[in-house]
Amino acid sequence: MTWRHAIFLANRELRRRTGRAVLTVLAVALAAALLTALLTIALTAETKVLDELAKGGPLSGIKVAAAKADPAQATQDDARPGEATILDQAAVDRIGTLPFIRAVVPVMVVRATIVVAEPKRDGKPLDAFVENVVGVDIRQVPTLPVSVLTGRLPAPGATNEVTVNEAFLERLGYSRNEAARFVGTQINMSTTRSVRVGNERRDVQRWTRATIVGVVAQDAGEGQILAPKELVEPARTWIVGNPGGGTRRLSDPAVATPFAGVFVVADSIENVGKVRAEISAIGYSTSAPENLIASVDRYLKVVEIVLTSVGLIALAVAALGISNASLAAVRERRREIGVLKAVGASDRDIRRVFLVESGALGLIGGVLGVVLGYLTAVVVSAFVNRYLVEQGFEAVPVALPITTMLAVTVGSTLLAIIAGILPAAKAARLPARAAMGSL
Amino acid sequence: MSRGVEVLVEHVTHQFAVEHGTLVVLDDLSFEAAPGSYVSIMGPSGAGKSTLLSLLGGLEPAQGGTLQVGGHSLGTMSRKELAAYRCSTVGFVFQHFGLLDTLTAAENVAVPLLLAGRSRSDARRRSLELLDQVGLAERATHRPPALSGGERQRVAVARAIGNDPVLLLADEPTGNLDEENGRMIVDLLESICTERACTVVAVTHDPRLAERADRRYRLKAGRLVGAEP
Repeated sequence: MTWRHAIFLANRELRRRTGRAVLTVLAVALAAALLTALLTIALTAETKVLDELAKGGPLSGIKVAAAKADPAQATQDDARPGEATILDQAAVDRIGTLPFIRAVVPVMVVRATIVVAEPKRDGKPLDAFVENVVGVDIRQVPTLPVSVLTGRLPAPGATNEVTVNEAFLERLGYSRNEAARFVGTQINMSTTRSVRVGNERRDVQRWTRATIVGVVAQDAGEGQILAPKELVEPARTWIVGNPGGGTRRLSDPAVATPFAGVFVVADSIENVGKVRAEISAIGYSTSAPENLIASVDRYLKVVEIVLTSVGLIALAVAALGISNASLAAVRERRREIGVLKAVGASDRDIRRVFLVESGALGLIGGVLGVVLGYLTAVVVSAFVNRYLVEQGFEAVPVALPITTMLAVTVGSTLLAIIAGILPAAKAARLPARAAMGSL
Repeated sequence: MSRGVEVLVEHVTHQFAVEHGTLVVLDDLSFEAAPGSYVSIMGPSGAGKSTLLSLLGGLEPAQGGTLQVGGHSLGTMSRKELAAYRCSTVGFVFQHFGLLDTLTAAENVAVPLLLAGRSRSDARRRSLELLDQVGLAERATHRPPALSGGERQRVAVARAIGNDPVLLLADEPTGNLDEENGRMIVDLLESICTERACTVVAVTHDPRLAERADRRYRLKAGRLVGAEP
């Protein structure tokens, strides 16, 4: 008997005992749904927690500072940087050639005087203040620890669009929930350089007007304003540029460095340590939450294992149900099994029919369970997200990888087949004489 | 030329375990059936008729003695070889028909054909031919519960002869049928024996079935007590 014939016979048999088949499938479906829902919740929580730790960036992100490395701090998550040093394009290119690296994003910072058009919450104007403006290639933002809270990112290459962060809003007395009111408002930024006029030195300012297009949470560089590098680069050139042409020699490396830092993404969290060591060897200070992430990840894995175990126990109980139903079917179908043997079915043929029946119950239950579990997780997350948004947090997207769905479905089917082994073996061992109806 | 096989039963004993000891069902039983012959076995209930058929059909091994069908000893066959023997050498007709209620008449007839390795389309074509031979072509798509007793037994006969067996075993084939249907089945078995020249061993209480046999054996308490002619 081929598998196809066994499937045909099993299908007819399951349809004859529809009530029992439906109840058994329901038991598997509920167990698979529980497992799926628990896994979805665990994976979603893991994604959210790790995302928070990585501040929206990749887990394998490393911040390289324009500062000398302190060997004693090399393995610390928040390594204390040494004295300031120059981080130029040559250094960035060299870092880019290191092994285990997926991306290298230079970060510029200029110090600017900011004048905000919007008044504070109490109606009074905000005094001009000095703040860092962080400049990055906007096209590379997906690899940076930057999350848009409201509005959007500046257009790549735009020289008149910026985003601000929560701390900027707090200066004006507003909270994150009120971020949307600042989208579309304008700020003026001024960078200053000192020039010699006769025997005197005078400060000359360069003003730039920009529109706030969004509010972000960002950890790419220290500063309350994030802008395209095309906006920041001319401002920096203005500061370090020589009115007579060329670049001035500045004594302070913190000002003279072309880049304030580099955000490096390692190809995996496991290689973060190796990449940090290589960069330290070049001479730059690095920091990355690798130890924290590894530690939290371990705890999350424990939670995941516990939740998965609960689901698997439920699935095992459902499998026992399949086993029980199959044993009952063997008892009821003794004569039929005998008849099949009497007309030529071998032990293997009988075993095959029963295994197909068990597997089919597991497969159907598994598919239904995955769908049911995912929908349950979506409904639960909708309630959770409503609460989070009310509290001023970001909503969490439900995470259930296709591999997990497949694993639950295949797992349910395999478990059902395993549960069917004993009844199938029992059916296969039945004597063909049962066909005569005397046993 | 005869296609049937010689059936040789020599000193066969068989017993069942019961609550307080053992029950001897066949006691030093010996008989033979010539190739292509029609043999009937009669006897009261509990005489061991069905057990004898079960042993001849390879449904269970004999505990003592020798059973040979076409020169092959059933006692030396493995479970797998016995399954192949049941599939290709023997055809079985049961008193209770032994049809699978979940399958249509044509599908029931096709089961042994598929087990013998025929393709689905070939098995379907052949099963329809067989149903036509037993006069049930128009009932091919009906399931057993929708058929009368006589029709069910004819489906069972069609199934039994599907793989052209050389030995047809019938266990009280008319036991659950009325007189008219019983006669029809007796005619059918006789014509199969004649046309296909296969050896038929029929266990029966029915004198109509027994009297048509070439040779009639009588069993009592597991022993042969008479043979005619």
